Amino acid sequence: MHNALMVGLSRQVALERELDVVANNIANINTTGFKSDGALFEEFIGKTARSDNVRPIDRKVSFVSDRATWIDMSAGAMQRTGNPTDIAIDGKGFMAVQTANGERYTRSGAFQIDSQGQLVTADGNPVLGDAGPIVFQPTDRNIAISPDGTISVQEGANANTEALRGKLRLVSVDNPGALQKEGANLFSAPAGVTVTPNTTSRFVQGAIEKSNVNSVLEMTRMIDVTRSYTNVATMLQQQADLQKSAIEKLADVPN
Amino acid sequence: MRALYTAATGMAAQELNVQVISNNIANMTTTGYKRQRAEFQDMLYEHVSRVGTQTSSQGNILPAGIEIGSGVKSVATPRIMTQGTLSQTGKDYDIAIRGEGFFNITMPDGTTSYTRDGSFELDAQGRLVTASGNLVQPGITIPQNATSVVINTQGQVSVTLPGSTATSTVGQITLTRFINKAGLQGIGDNLYLETPASGSPQAGTPSSDGFGDLQQGNLEQANVEAVTEISSLIAAQRAYEMNAKVISAADQMLSTTSSLMR
Repeated sequence: MHNALMVGLSRQVALERELDVVANNIANINTTGFKSDGALFEEFIGKTARSDNVRPIDRKVSFVSDRATWIDMSAGAMQRTGNPTDIAIDGKGFMAVQTANGERYTRSGAFQIDSQGQLVTADGNPVLGDAGPIVFQPTDRNIAISPDGTISVQEGANANTEALRGKLRLVSVDNPGALQKEGANLFSAPAGVTVTPNTTSRFVQGAIEKSNVNSVLEMTRMIDVTRSYTNVATMLQQQADLQKSAIEKLADVPN
Repeated sequence: MRALYTAATGMAAQELNVQVISNNIANMTTTGYKRQRAEFQDMLYEHVSRVGTQTSSQGNILPAGIEIGSGVKSVATPRIMTQGTLSQTGKDYDIAIRGEGFFNITMPDGTTSYTRDGSFELDAQGRLVTASGNLVQPGITIPQNATSVVINTQGQVSVTLPGSTATSTVGQITLTRFINKAGLQGIGDNLYLETPASGSPQAGTPSSDGFGDLQQGNLEQANVEAVTEISSLIAAQRAYEMNAKVISAADQMLSTTSSLMR
């Protein structure tokens, strides 16, 4: 009898966690390069019932356990901005960023140039090229980034002097689902995930990749979560009522 | 319930987004205005079960962990320093920069600020000043009896005096550029200040060393695009509403829980 309560509780805890995931997706609906999360649940088989009166198939009790969240790595919509240091990736690759904790990967290409002329992310981490950070000179203008990531500028007094400022690094991850979210639009590669140079994706200058959160889907998930939660709550209540009436009836001493 | 707070960060972020967009729209016709954009990042994740951890002594690893995010944060509102379109005004002291560079303006306290707004005027002494009366650096004084003023693309200011057919040069407008233009601090009045992020100012003359050239009788329009801003506004407003819906969903779940107890 208590099992029903516990099964319901396990479902409610899982639903609460799913709502957390949905809330985070919706909060990041306008975050550049954000990849939405999904939640996976699995059946957790509990102890078998001791009574021999129930059919073998009913002796098992299935609880719900949240097994994993997975990252939906599908591409977000590309938005033209016209800003020369905005870079989007067409394809499955990632850009590499140097942080204090080591190399990180991102799809968010809303970059800036810092006071040293380095190409940096919005929070100041240098973006990596094939030969380290990309550094611009003070007189550089008309930054052009080719689809393969080669960065060329016009430099100096003469308007026609072309100079190269490096080549953006584009990497692929053999198992993108295993990447770990770090916040700040960054992903880290845990042990066992290999990062290799990517040759199939290409860069698009003057555009950013919007968040890939599907608002309709998230709203539907949210409604589903709240409705299931209410259903389970009703079930718990009915269980409680059942117990209550059982106790009342059984304790009713006949006169 | 974490979802409540997560959605609250989303609402706060979208509110900031709307603020930035409304400021862009309000300054759609401000000379030399550069639009801003709100940049967001996802916040820290709680790794409930970490991806890649071993699940057995045989070396099996968890293919996907449980990561619960805690919302969104606004990280910056950088200015998009692209060129605005030039519009012809025909006024002698309207000067637009086509290309890189900022005009230098002397503030009342003696410090230098920078602007792209070249809608200059003359003051009572014939000095070139901004629309709010601050002096343009280096100072340029137009003689009271000048019959015509020409500012060429290199920034040389020359005047024609009565009784003379030749022009005489009365000054040179210089420009300043920064390696990180987006790092300048906006102080209103179309003016910017140097910051540690912008890098140090580099002076130069127009049409040389990568500086833009000057266009007399033109003004640089704001680089705000109405269509882009309105569609971002719609997106921001809808995102705000959806975050509000998450809060009511979380609230509904909490009230379901509390009504369990009778």
